[in-house]
Amino acid sequence: MAFSGNLLSWLVFAPFIWGLAGLLIPARNPSWTKYWALGGTIVAFLLSVVVYLQFDATSAAFQLQESVSWIPSLGVSYKLGLDGISLWLVMLTTFLCPLVILGAFEAVEKKHKGFFFLLLALESAMLGTFLATDAFLFYVFWEALLIPMYFLVGIWGGKDRIFAAMKFFIYTMAGSLLMLVAIFYLAYQFNVQSGMGISTSLFDLYTVKVPGDGYLSAQSLLFLAFALAFMIKVPLFPLHTWLPDAHVQAPTAGSVILAGVLLKMGGYGLIRFALPLFPDAVRLYQWPALVLGTIAISYGALIALVQTDIKKLVAYSSVSHMGYVVLGIFSLNAAGMSGAIYQMLAHGISTSGLFLVVGMIYERRHTREISAFGGLAKVMPLFAVAFLIIVLSSAALPGTNGFVGEFLILLGLWQTAPVLAVFSALGVILGAFYLLWMFQRVMYGKVNGEENAQLKDLSTREILVLVPLIVAIFWMGMAPGFWFSKMQPSVDALVSKYQASAVAELRKVSP
Amino acid sequence: METLPLNLIDPATLQLSSAQLQALLPYLIFFGGICLALILSVVPAAKPTVTTPVICALSMVASAASLLISASPEPLFGGMLLTDTFAHFGNALFLACGVCAILLSYRYLEKQKLNYPEYYLLLSFSVLGMMLMASTLNLMVLFIALELMSLSVYVLVAFRRNDRRSNEAGVKYFILGSAASAILLYGAALVYGATLSVDLLEVSKRTLQSSAVNSPLLVLGMLCLLVGFLFKVASVPFHTWMPDVYDGAPTPITALMTTGLKAAVFITLIRVVSTWVGTPVAGVFHAVLWFSAAATFFVGNVVALKQTNVKRMLAYSSIAHTGYLLIGILAGPTHPEAFAAVLFYVTVYAIMNLGAFAVLTVLAGYGDTGLELADLSGLSERHPWLSFALACFLFSMTGLPPTAGFTAKYFLFYSAIQSGEIWLVVLAVLCSAIGAYYYLRVVVHLYMRDPVGQFATFKVSRGAIVTLGLTLALVFQLGLVPGNALRWMGGLISTDKPAQVGAR
Repeated sequence: MAFSGNLLSWLVFAPFIWGLAGLLIPARNPSWTKYWALGGTIVAFLLSVVVYLQFDATSAAFQLQESVSWIPSLGVSYKLGLDGISLWLVMLTTFLCPLVILGAFEAVEKKHKGFFFLLLALESAMLGTFLATDAFLFYVFWEALLIPMYFLVGIWGGKDRIFAAMKFFIYTMAGSLLMLVAIFYLAYQFNVQSGMGISTSLFDLYTVKVPGDGYLSAQSLLFLAFALAFMIKVPLFPLHTWLPDAHVQAPTAGSVILAGVLLKMGGYGLIRFALPLFPDAVRLYQWPALVLGTIAISYGALIALVQTDIKKLVAYSSVSHMGYVVLGIFSLNAAGMSGAIYQMLAHGISTSGLFLVVGMIYERRHTREISAFGGLAKVMPLFAVAFLIIVLSSAALPGTNGFVGEFLILLGLWQTAPVLAVFSALGVILGAFYLLWMFQRVMYGKVNGEENAQLKDLSTREILVLVPLIVAIFWMGMAPGFWFSKMQPSVDALVSKYQASAVAELRKVSP
Repeated sequence: METLPLNLIDPATLQLSSAQLQALLPYLIFFGGICLALILSVVPAAKPTVTTPVICALSMVASAASLLISASPEPLFGGMLLTDTFAHFGNALFLACGVCAILLSYRYLEKQKLNYPEYYLLLSFSVLGMMLMASTLNLMVLFIALELMSLSVYVLVAFRRNDRRSNEAGVKYFILGSAASAILLYGAALVYGATLSVDLLEVSKRTLQSSAVNSPLLVLGMLCLLVGFLFKVASVPFHTWMPDVYDGAPTPITALMTTGLKAAVFITLIRVVSTWVGTPVAGVFHAVLWFSAAATFFVGNVVALKQTNVKRMLAYSSIAHTGYLLIGILAGPTHPEAFAAVLFYVTVYAIMNLGAFAVLTVLAGYGDTGLELADLSGLSERHPWLSFALACFLFSMTGLPPTAGFTAKYFLFYSAIQSGEIWLVVLAVLCSAIGAYYYLRVVVHLYMRDPVGQFATFKVSRGAIVTLGLTLALVFQLGLVPGNALRWMGGLISTDKPAQVGAR
């Protein structure tokens, strides 16, 4: 194939270039712009399928690597590569983006060109973040994606959009700047220790050894700098306060991208950077992270329970669900880790589905108050079925994708911290409670009001948006082995570092 | 007592060889051009309002072109003038800022009904002052260059003479600036008293040779010098003059002050500070610079939060950037790469600030109105390209990739980390997160708010288009592929002896 040498670069930049070309479409033809953007995301999806086909699942190594020297005096190179962990997150991104665009066809009322261009630019930045294997490049993509997101929330968002956009931007930026300082320090230490010149390549940084005894040692401080950036993104309680604002104010497309992909970047960052770089500090801070994760699950669920706005409810459910991801990662064993990655994918699908569904009824009624609805199941039967499946997957019903991830996480957590596992399992019950209660109030009972009685059921376009999600929900729920098989070697390689050293420590203790 | 160095000047040193003449070419061409413009400016038949800016701009371009052939590694006139590549880099930067300022000024002055030829002459003289300042380590020459630059700028600041704000700014700047110059001169006197030399290279040599020279007198003298410089770059606590002055000055002059003038002082500061390397003076100044840097970026960022006028906001943001630059100056003595980072940052800052001020110059109505945040609301609807450019410059000042501002911050903070200033860098990045708020607030008005009332009508002048095009291209070029520029600036620092302490 013509681009086989730099397939990943094509994948990363195709949406952006496509979007730039789309800017040339005359503004009087909004529908051309929409179909053009849809075409761009489908091209990206096809490229990611090519990547998937070329991926060798038996190896834990980074594959399809590209490396070009970029800023030699700073030790920066343009490096891309993917392993089993990033593979699925890339697929998630390219899978969701066409659905998002298709879902936004009717929702955008002004400045179509800008909207669809920013979505495509966002896709490029997200793919770049998942594929970069150079810390500088990662940071560039990580920060660059704030710009399109900021505009998407700020221009096309709800009533308090400007406040939400600002808060999102500054919150995230403040966190990531400290990570930047930590990257400087590591790159510098690499030179000091190896004498091979400064480098920001991830593989070089992995070899850096930083003293890690104590909660305020150099390694711990570096870990905290990275973890702060990632945990804001996840977001972990108590750093989650930007999320309800941004999610609720963003247009549906923005909410879906935020919940579906952006939050995953936090978990991905922890797995890709924090865990391999700072093993001692991770072990020291394992407990605080686990406790916060446990709190996040129940806290998010309880706050979601009292929401009167469906979109806010879904936003807080993200806080709760992403708490599981943190628990899984910090269980530091294979079950927890694979569960965390699986949960990220599952949450990406089911929460995106929820936001899309909420967007669909909002487009019809221009309100999201739970009390404004009732008995919609009678009026919109197809919608009711789709909504129910997505709600159940979010509530982790066995047979859907949500169950697999949460089950594995609890399994992994049980090995590390049984008490916390008990508390977290309670969160599962709460999760079912607030979701089903919301569903019951919105969909069942008497049809209240004239407006609700006249609602139209799903259009063909909306069915096209939801069906792929539902297929994914069941596929991931019924046949998890297919998904795990691709990422297992990478997960094992990552976790073995922790388990091997645990074994080594045991040997030290018992002569 | 030994012979006084001032007696050493013998007539032979004042003879010009052809090599020396070549080294002086950029200054002579420029000076000649200004003199020609000066003469023509009083001849009404020569249409001075048109010829003066043209001649000044052309002589700047010619002077910049002659920089290519005139670098001389040897000091001229017994060390009074250093025309090395380091100086020439600075000269090129100042000339570029000068040309852009002239390009922006023409339409602006017409709009303000201030189209007088002396404006361009003063502007050119201040640029000449900057060039000389960056080309010397002799305190006498340095002082004269500084005054040439400052006096011209004092007048320019007050040039909008029908506006009280501008007059107030001019007087304020003049009084406080003169005080600072006096302190600097006093410092030079003390340094001479302690070491019997006004040549900083010589001072550094003597300090290293005998510890007897290392008196409190020398430290006090150097401190006075430093205060003089810190005043000129508006570092806290010497910043109070600055917002009023930047606000009151004609917008293109504010552009020149935040770019060329600031760059000139920082480039001189690099030279001065690098003569301290290895001398006991360096240790004393570390603490002074540390607190000054921290206070500067903190105050600049925090006070900028409250500004509602974009020009004034950029003035405070300029204080914040001064703070970041001081980190580099502070780190330089232990890690010379930091000096290269300062050069790069000052260049990038000049580029993005010129761009932002180019937009403001276009927007400014009569009497510099129309620069409130509310006036920018919904600009993207009417002038998409202008708002796009301004947004790019603001993102660059925030330090977001893929713009030059990010690369510059990265390089600067990275080299500071290498010299061990970790906590200062942590403070700086936290403050730059504060900075994101006020830069983005402008973007909010550009893109996210609806226009308030009627737009003032304005045309985008050709000069502004050229400036905007160049700066915008550079913001992305230096943001995406900064490799060559970084390597080249690194080379300036390590190969250039006078810049990097000839006395080491």
